[in-house]
Amino acid sequence: MVEIKSLKKCYGDRTVLDIPELVFENGTVTALAGANGSGKTTLLRILAGIIKKTEGSVKTPASVLYLPQQCYAFRGNLIKNITLSGADEKEASVLLRKLGLDNLASKKAKSLSGGELQRLALCRILSKKCELLLLDEPTSACDARGAQLVTEAINDYKEKYGCTVIMSTHSPALAVNSAQRLIVLGSGRIEADGAPSDILSSPESQWAKSFTSGWKI
Amino acid sequence: MESFRQAFELLFPPDKELLQIIGVTLKMSFFSTLISCLIGLPLGSLIGSQSFRGKSFIKKLIHTLMGLPPVVAGLVVYSLFTHYGPLGRLNMLFTVRVMVVAQVMLITPVVIGLTSSFIESASKPVIETARGLGFSGLKTARLCIGEGRSSLFSVVLNAFGRSIAEVGAVSIVGGNIQWKTRVMTTAIMLETNKGKFSFAIALGIILLLIAFIVNALASFTVRENADG
Ligand SMILES: Nc1ncnc2c1ncn2[C@@H]1O[C@H](COP(=O)(O)OP(=O)(O)O)[C@@H](O)[C@H]1O
Ligand SMILES: [Mg+2]
Repeated sequence: MVEIKSLKKCYGDRTVLDIPELVFENGTVTALAGANGSGKTTLLRILAGIIKKTEGSVKTPASVLYLPQQCYAFRGNLIKNITLSGADEKEASVLLRKLGLDNLASKKAKSLSGGELQRLALCRILSKKCELLLLDEPTSACDARGAQLVTEAINDYKEKYGCTVIMSTHSPALAVNSAQRLIVLGSGRIEADGAPSDILSSPESQWAKSFTSGWKI
Repeated sequence: MESFRQAFELLFPPDKELLQIIGVTLKMSFFSTLISCLIGLPLGSLIGSQSFRGKSFIKKLIHTLMGLPPVVAGLVVYSLFTHYGPLGRLNMLFTVRVMVVAQVMLITPVVIGLTSSFIESASKPVIETARGLGFSGLKTARLCIGEGRSSLFSVVLNAFGRSIAEVGAVSIVGGNIQWKTRVMTTAIMLETNKGKFSFAIALGIILLLIAFIVNALASFTVRENADG
């Protein structure tokens, strides 16, 4: 279980995250949404232990994996980028195939495109076991097909290990297809918390509106 | 042209004194670089990767020391090692060793400063990725060094370049003694003062050549081990 109590994160005198109470039950999948700068990355980084909180308490399971928003390619080919975290080459190939990267397996990881790199970074994360999986916008750089592969891979991993998943996203598709719960952040506070389909269809949801407002066909 | 001819004549066949001077130069630069990197690389990594109170003060201090004029470093070391100075009993003044001491004083801040700013900027995504994968501190550090080796390597070359080109400090503490503490730069100064400009330039050409060869050799070895 993940338990957050009176959590605050400040930079100087600016509070970028302010969450009085939030609990994630074991084995649940939650999507975090919200505009740029609403605090999604900050929350995930605090849960992952990358940055320190300013106030409050945070309880997380012992084994946590975290995929940063900015994916990084280590030196070497794709296989090496995965085996570096402990997997053997066979497992690495299986993961690469799953995310549609098998034809690039022996290419240098530094030469990948944004969407390819993002999927490689996911392969690297999913090659390890964990109790809490944190993903920061895992489909942000992917095309539709790539995003679908990512969604499937996350769902399968969740099935296999029964871990808790928290992922930030701007994609309603990912939220609806993978998560049971959607939390919308706005200026570091929780604006909405509920079932993804409820929030997306709610007429007063700013997040839902933001997707339809730009459309004109 | 005259200088090129003289440089050529000094090298083919090699002049005995020139070889000795090159030997002293390389020995001094090698040890100065080695020691300042042994101190500066770990310290710079530490400063770059940790956040602590007084960090910005330390960084300002390092940046100031990076601009320390060589003659000042030379004077400080001279006054420490002079006969009546606190370390005078060691009897090290006018030796290659004390030249290394002065150079370490000059170069270490540069190594610390360059390393810490490199670690601060370039290593951030590596650290975040490695910690996200649950890697230990040791494994994370190893990855940072592996990923940044070409940058760290250019820090080392930079240190070596400064060491081999420096003249103010080594002439004060080394004394430019023939067959003993004379290095390329102090030899060039001497020849210039004697009015033998073309000979001085010949020495300068050779110094450049040495620096070039060392750089080429070093980057070749690194490129051999890089990638994969
Ligand atoms: N190191 C930092 N220093 C100052 N402000 C920061 C820092 N990191 C993030 N912020 C601020 O915190 C807010 C939340 O950022 P972030 O969590 O990255 O938003 P999101 O991921 O939802 O787009 C932003 O306004 C950002 O400018
Ligand atoms: Mg973000």
